[in-house]
Amino acid sequence: MNDDVLRVEGREGETAPSSNRPGVWREVWRDTMGRVGILTLLGILVTIFLGPVIFPFDGQSFGASATSILQAPTGSHWMGTTELGQDVFRQFLLGGRISLYVGVSATVIAMVLGAGLGLVSGYYAGWRDTVLMRITDFFLVLPTLPLIIVLAALFGQSILITSLVIGLTSWPQTARIIRSQVLSLRERPLVMRVRSLGAGDWRIMSRHILPNVTPLIFANLVLVLSGSILAQAALAFLGLGDPVQVSWGTMLHNAFNSGAMSSGAWWYTLTPGVGIVIMVLAFSLIGHALDRVMNPLRRGAR
Amino acid sequence: MNARYFVRKLSTLVVTLFLTVSFNFLLFHVLPGSPVQLLARSGHYDAAAKASLTKLFGLNHGLLTQYFIYLKNMVQGDLGFSYTYRKPVTTVLGAAVGNTVLLVGTATAITVFIGIWLGVKAASRANSLTDTAITVTSLTLWSMPDFFTGMILIFAAGVWTHVLPISGIETPGLTVGWLGHLLDIAKHLILPALTLMLVNAAEFSLITRNAMVDVMVDDYMVTARAKGVAKKVIVWHHALRNALLPIVTATALYVGMVLGGAIQVETVFSWPGMGLLIYNSVEQRDYPVLEGCFLLFAIAVIATNFISDILYQVLDARVRNN
Amino acid sequence: MSVLRISDLTIDYRLGEGSVRAVDHVSLEIEAGEAVGIVGESGCGKTTLGLSVPLLLPTNASISDGQIVLNGESLIGRSEEEMNHLRWKSVAFVFQGAMNALNPVHRIDKQILEAIQTHEPETSKDDAQARVLELIELVGISPSRAKSYPHEFSGGMRQRAMIAMSLACRPSLLIADEPTTALDVISQAQILALLGELRRQENLSLVMISHDLSAIKKVCDRIVVMYAGVIVESGPTDTVLRRKNGVVTAAHPYTKALMGAHPDLSGERILAPGLVGNPPDLSKPITGCRFAARCPEAMEVCRTQTPPTVTITPGHSAACHLAVRSAS
Repeated sequence: MNDDVLRVEGREGETAPSSNRPGVWREVWRDTMGRVGILTLLGILVTIFLGPVIFPFDGQSFGASATSILQAPTGSHWMGTTELGQDVFRQFLLGGRISLYVGVSATVIAMVLGAGLGLVSGYYAGWRDTVLMRITDFFLVLPTLPLIIVLAALFGQSILITSLVIGLTSWPQTARIIRSQVLSLRERPLVMRVRSLGAGDWRIMSRHILPNVTPLIFANLVLVLSGSILAQAALAFLGLGDPVQVSWGTMLHNAFNSGAMSSGAWWYTLTPGVGIVIMVLAFSLIGHALDRVMNPLRRGAR
Repeated sequence: MNARYFVRKLSTLVVTLFLTVSFNFLLFHVLPGSPVQLLARSGHYDAAAKASLTKLFGLNHGLLTQYFIYLKNMVQGDLGFSYTYRKPVTTVLGAAVGNTVLLVGTATAITVFIGIWLGVKAASRANSLTDTAITVTSLTLWSMPDFFTGMILIFAAGVWTHVLPISGIETPGLTVGWLGHLLDIAKHLILPALTLMLVNAAEFSLITRNAMVDVMVDDYMVTARAKGVAKKVIVWHHALRNALLPIVTATALYVGMVLGGAIQVETVFSWPGMGLLIYNSVEQRDYPVLEGCFLLFAIAVIATNFISDILYQVLDARVRNN
Repeated sequence: MSVLRISDLTIDYRLGEGSVRAVDHVSLEIEAGEAVGIVGESGCGKTTLGLSVPLLLPTNASISDGQIVLNGESLIGRSEEEMNHLRWKSVAFVFQGAMNALNPVHRIDKQILEAIQTHEPETSKDDAQARVLELIELVGISPSRAKSYPHEFSGGMRQRAMIAMSLACRPSLLIADEPTTALDVISQAQILALLGELRRQENLSLVMISHDLSAIKKVCDRIVVMYAGVIVESGPTDTVLRRKNGVVTAAHPYTKALMGAHPDLSGERILAPGLVGNPPDLSKPITGCRFAARCPEAMEVCRTQTPPTVTITPGHSAACHLAVRSAS
């Protein structure tokens, strides 16, 4: 197909792929899936941060009698009770924060590592690139969840270590993606000109390259965030969660191990599970929308 | 087949395998906090026990010698001794690996077909209602932790309706012929395989859709349409054939993911494979078994990557000739 | 009888909230055996016009007005199945073969064979394959290379293969869209010579879309100049592109500017010293002449009134107020 059709088709998004402009977020908002994702995310944040303030249940106290164990939802326990008689809703509200906290801190670590390595690798090219990419490829093929499990089993299961472990294993894909973008950016006339004028590497990277890969970093960040929340949930479910800081994954671990399912206590399983799904889905929808905004052709021209 | 390409990929394979084994050594034997170091420093042992431990793990040697002993054992197929099963790790793994292959293999085979089919459907009507429905469903399924999907299926098919077995690989104490036994295993396979399929077919259809949509705007697609080729032929013969390349690459990485999923699914359904073994060895802190499982998983993923590199070459003449 | 008759064709692209009118009430007729060149800068609508004939526009484009009549049959409103029968048989394309118009994972002979088998299922496979080899030979490729993949060919050979494929079903109209773009100078000349030769030999009706006037001059009898979605000038190639002692017979200032232009080294853009600025934004309605803002000879009336198309000599017409003035 010829250039003038593509030009007409691509005009809407032609500045989007490489430039950091506020328009990206406006376009995500304009995308139906993106808008649903943003609204869902806001809903979750309000629920888990304002919820415990508005509904001051006593989540930690144990049930007074046998009847308060694994109770179905009632007026006083909206989502029923746990195998220890604790209020599921209260645990749900507090657990969401832990899941989000681990997800966000792991993502920050992965992004700093991945984007940093990608920038350096792509910008300097040559032997530094070769070495860094060999290392990246090695970590890229290692099966992530098994590796996370091994690391957590070896080094501990506090939320800090969990965040570290997930963050330290989730960067390779980001490094790869950022690197290939930087490789093409460094050949741009503007960058070449600035370099020939004697600008330092740090200045070129921070002023001319980083701003151009920021949207890409964001698109990737959302994906890594989804993955980190899922990884944390899996770890906690497998018994490698922080025993004190109860996350949604830990709740599911407790529900599964206390036989909540076979005794029909669906509320105990569904509440934290649906929480995870909605939170991850919100990020996935935003990520999907970002992808469509940044790759206009993905929208499917024909 | 291009011999140089093959040799290059083969040497990458060997180097990666070597690195993986070394990484394993570092993780389980050298790093502070690694089980061997912990055992050696633990206060629970008397001098004699400590001495025998030191000898067992070769801690009296230098790190380099320890490493060579480790490599030698690895080559001889000695992965150590399980604390809990009191058997060699290779024996423990041997009993489990077949079950995981059965589960993951069945699920993957079906996943690939369903995922590609759905992805093609979505892409060939990009932005239609079908596309949106498939994409939203896939995103939702993708957002579900594998173990949670499994728990929901247990609820639906096992606890409420009692139609399918929800635990184990066979009914204990069942005395039927080999055919009945096979059917019994197949029945136990349905729910765990379905769980893996749901999550991974979602991922697969998203990958396929995006690869297809990228290909659909290529120039040769306009040529194919201009030739008057029927849409079905265009989609399956021209587009998918080109989209297969990114799909094959994604499949290799997907294997790492599906193994992660297998750990969760086997745990939920008590399927006696490597995943359940990992869960149990984490719980029992049976590090030699954990180490063996991780090594085997890593080798499986690396081998799949190698196969996908070779397959890529077969599919794309451009790679073959360069 | 004319092979192709386009009348009042209007094509809009939907873009986000708004739309862009890429082709605006264009009328054009191609006689049997005639070769017509369509020229203009990128974005002027020439490729959109070409793709509209077999109804191959992208999904975000729609034909809002006008008629396309091919071999006496009206095309607009036909189903995909009906169009699939007509495509390649009635109207075949030569795309930029040097780029990505050939499927990279299929062999050349298979791609040509597919065209024959799609439209002539009754032809035996052996006969079809024999024809593929004839076609490949016809365009100057050794039949021994028939089983190559596109990437194994040079740009010029890929373009030859593309031409061979376009002739597979003996089309009544051939549309060549930038057939020489992105080729080296020697291959360009060879491809143009081949097109000119085949045109006479096979008595083809040809539409050649290009931004390169010299290419059109070599192959075409008639030239159509497009600017911002409309035809601004058309006439016999010899007349419109004549330049004698510095005097040109082209009537439209845009055509004159293009005549002073030359393609850049990569052959992908035209560098026109007489042209400053960009074509107008087609998502907004335009009053007056579309070229007025860039026209060195623009007058007051050009900014307020759309110029009518006037006949200068029989067969040569232009849409320009200057032409109106000199005609009256």
